[in-house]
Amino acid sequence: MCQRISHHHPIFCILPPYVLSKISQNGTDEQRAKALQTMSTDSTMRSLRLTQAPMRQPAVLTRGVPGEGHKHRTIYTALNTSELPGDIIRQEGAPPSGDPAADEAYEALGATYDFYWQIYARNSIDDEGMAMKASVHFGKKYNNAFWDGQAMVFGDGDGDLFNRFTISLDIVGHELTHGVVADEGQLQYFYQSGALNESISDVFGSLVRQHLLQQTADQADWLIGAGLFTAKINGVALRSLKAPGTAFDDPLLGKDPQPAHMKNFVRTFEDNGGVHINSGIPNHAFYLVATNLGGYAWEKAGLIWYEALRDKQLRPNSGFQRFARLTLRNATRLYGSAGVETKAVREAWKQVGVNVSYS
Amino acid sequence: MRIHFNVEGGLAFFPNLNKPVTIDVDELPPEEAGELEELLDTAKFFDLPKSVGEFAPGAADYRRYKVTIENEAGDRHSVQFADVSDNPEARKLLDFLLAKISPIM
Repeated sequence: MCQRISHHHPIFCILPPYVLSKISQNGTDEQRAKALQTMSTDSTMRSLRLTQAPMRQPAVLTRGVPGEGHKHRTIYTALNTSELPGDIIRQEGAPPSGDPAADEAYEALGATYDFYWQIYARNSIDDEGMAMKASVHFGKKYNNAFWDGQAMVFGDGDGDLFNRFTISLDIVGHELTHGVVADEGQLQYFYQSGALNESISDVFGSLVRQHLLQQTADQADWLIGAGLFTAKINGVALRSLKAPGTAFDDPLLGKDPQPAHMKNFVRTFEDNGGVHINSGIPNHAFYLVATNLGGYAWEKAGLIWYEALRDKQLRPNSGFQRFARLTLRNATRLYGSAGVETKAVREAWKQVGVNVSYS
Repeated sequence: MRIHFNVEGGLAFFPNLNKPVTIDVDELPPEEAGELEELLDTAKFFDLPKSVGEFAPGAADYRRYKVTIENEAGDRHSVQFADVSDNPEARKLLDFLLAKISPIM
């Protein structure tokens, strides 16, 4: 067979799949292309060999069956147009496409799914196994990423000041969490409820990354979008949960406008009423709870936040105070009113200036 | 003719960026001015409604673009575009304007 397929170098035909896989990740461009070609052809050959036996599904080509704990990812390329979703570039279970943005999106969607499933037993965005879709290469030098209500969309960045937006796992987690928030609380995307919406995306986006890296609250950097700016920008990230207002200070961009306390709440019509600005306040509250308690932030702080998000009393127009009260209520329910967790929650909201009294 | 172009939204707020930019078409090099006028024509800009494209509920971190054309008489026509729409001609116009106001946008 190898003699008939002239585009293969013979060596690639005798290498076992796990070696081909390594070459496809780590070799030169030419080596990687050849390894990927071999792998895609090889899996077809394997399938054919399998079908000579009694009828069985080829293992490599099995599609996910709807059910708990299964991922269904599809990555599209918008081919630098604004037409969505674009052409399929990688489907669930397929080997790496060789397109870094597509493969990063694929892995990041997987990590986000795994986080929600393993930690909170949440089966995808809607807890019903919803297919996860992402389009990469949207627009021309598009310096943004967004959630369109159904799927994620990523730009390539201009390559001069911004890198590609799939480079940041917490941003992928952030975008997918907008889907979770839409499913659970439907927080309206303006003013305080919008800032809360944004904050929940930052919190869980950050936890997705911390979980993958197995970082404790002390080890985490608590940054959103680190790695997005090139060296030309004076900034480390889009936002910081640890120190809102310090993520960037650059002549072109301006200074990070986030407050860390209610006394500095920004009243504006821009940015849907400051949804990416005032999110700094609940972001910082979460950071305080997580670092106060120590350990892995998703275990207690994250659980309290997750339960508050799912609380029936969270309304589309809920603001910080309502949410703070719900975190306290759920912490009390989970850990008791005298628990260190409950005290940490009360203390955190106090520190950022949000009143959580029951009256 | 002047074009006021405003980019709003996105996954972060950068204070220096979300400000309207004005392009004076008369001051553009002739080929660019020609290209822009052709894009406006093909997009049928002056026939467009106030708002083109919209997002599904639950959408977030998207951008919106406001394009206002002001002619010599001072008449204005404004259209707000969502990042997603079925209008590829409108997108070509937006891409031209975005490239004009780069490096950031």
